[in-house]
Amino acid sequence: MIDVRALTKVYVDKPAVDAVSFFVKEGEVVGFLGPNGAGKSTTLRMMTGFLPPTSGEVLIGGVPMHRDPLKAKRLIGYMPENAALYPEMRVAEYLRFRAMLAGGGRAELRKAVPQVLEECFIGDVAETVIGSLSKGYRQRVALAGALVHRPKVIILDEPTIGMDPAQIVKIRELIRGLGRERTVLLSTHILPEAEAVSDRVLVIDHGRILAQDSPANLRAALKGRNTYLVTLKAGPKAVAETFAGVPGMLQAAETRRTESEVSLRLEAEKERDLREPLFTLCVREGLTLLELREDTLSMEDIFLRLTTEDETTKEAVA
Amino acid sequence: MRPFWAVFNRELLSYFYSPLAYVILAAFLVLNGGIFYLILQVLNTPQAPHGAVLKAFFGGTLYYWMYMLFIAPAITMRLLSEEKRSGTIESLMTAPVTEGQVVLGKYFASLSFYAFLWLFTVVYVFIVAAYSAVDPWPILTGYLGILLHGGLFLSAGLLASAFSKNQIIAFVWAFALLMALFTLGFLYQIVGAPGAKAFFEYATLWEQMDTFGKGILDTRPVVYSVSLTALFLFAAAQVLRLRQWR
Repeated sequence: MIDVRALTKVYVDKPAVDAVSFFVKEGEVVGFLGPNGAGKSTTLRMMTGFLPPTSGEVLIGGVPMHRDPLKAKRLIGYMPENAALYPEMRVAEYLRFRAMLAGGGRAELRKAVPQVLEECFIGDVAETVIGSLSKGYRQRVALAGALVHRPKVIILDEPTIGMDPAQIVKIRELIRGLGRERTVLLSTHILPEAEAVSDRVLVIDHGRILAQDSPANLRAALKGRNTYLVTLKAGPKAVAETFAGVPGMLQAAETRRTESEVSLRLEAEKERDLREPLFTLCVREGLTLLELREDTLSMEDIFLRLTTEDETTKEAVA
Repeated sequence: MRPFWAVFNRELLSYFYSPLAYVILAAFLVLNGGIFYLILQVLNTPQAPHGAVLKAFFGGTLYYWMYMLFIAPAITMRLLSEEKRSGTIESLMTAPVTEGQVVLGKYFASLSFYAFLWLFTVVYVFIVAAYSAVDPWPILTGYLGILLHGGLFLSAGLLASAFSKNQIIAFVWAFALLMALFTLGFLYQIVGAPGAKAFFEYATLWEQMDTFGKGILDTRPVVYSVSLTALFLFAAAQVLRLRQWR
């Protein structure tokens, strides 16, 4: 549905987006993940026909954006980063304007506007002047503006910025729901968000795609060691050395000690499951085990590894 | 056509939502009322020059040009610069619309607002008609001249608005551009070559307005205004297309 081929944008010799290529299937929800200034917005602006690319090509539903912009734009619902709106307009009025701009007739407007008002939970402010709305509401009005003409491809640039946690949960549900019938690409710098809504994530930094896969696969590819977090009832003796002796253990360190509890972080070889040996050891040594947990890589870890580590890690996932 | 109407409607509505429109409207009516009163007073004196009241009103005074040069930029300064400043240009230009549709929608909205301002002056025609005989033809051509020159000034203002995301800068650009157009008229008094002299005479806005005020429908000023307007609008669409400057 979205086919991006070697898309490049150069600003005065400095590439902001450097030969970015990816493909998004119909019905897929893809997270476009990267730190601020990574080139996310520039890529989206080229994809939606706002900026001309220096080189490369974007196909939306098979239509080349920069050769047939009207036809390609008709397929897209785009919500730009700042969610800019006309402050003097009323919400329903704005949505009618957006629907008409996309070529909708009166009959379609009558149906589409109430529907999108409900979908984005803004029915209660339909007759309110946009300028007097809170940031969270404005964000949803902008989202509604991108959805009102029922586009096949939905491109959202940081859709949940400025919303409170309850609204964020609702909007994420909405985005997931959209992905059932339509294709969604959303950019974010918030990792849990990418993980919560997307089937797949594209990680971008310095204008290049570093990795693209499902969150689970990225995790598996980047994992170097098995890490266990252990909490014991505090005893008189130091226990770190005891654990260090377990076969396959690479490192054992005490991370926290209070009067009643000791916490340790244990790192073992990647292929070895040490949960059972750890339990038996505790029994044998007479240690009271309060918690034993395998630590999986969070999206934050994955992200940090991808964006900060050396080229070899990047090659491992590419 | 739908995108054109969408832009046109939105733009026209937002005139009436903004305080600027009411300030312009109030200033326009107070100024015009005052000028109309002064013209009546002057023409009532025994040593008054010979002439019809409404002919003097339609471009016959310096005041007319003074507020035309101010009001047109004030009407247009917001049109594109505000979209750029607030960022709404991004969702506007990623909708399936052409630059031409956006420029024309905005232009005709500003022209409609301008025509709405002048609509109030029709009252003066009735006031004059109540006291003396009025020849309807010069009034019609007078209004045509106002519409043509207004249309030209507004297109120049729209082009200026495409250049900057700052409304004040757009205003200053527009004012400078209109001053240049207006000054073109003085050149015929200083150039010597007969061809150039004829050209600049033809491009003199107040001579054109004087012809319209006499009730003469000359096609040359019509062509002049319409073609320059088209040129400015075309240029505005091209500037909008180069939005990577943003």
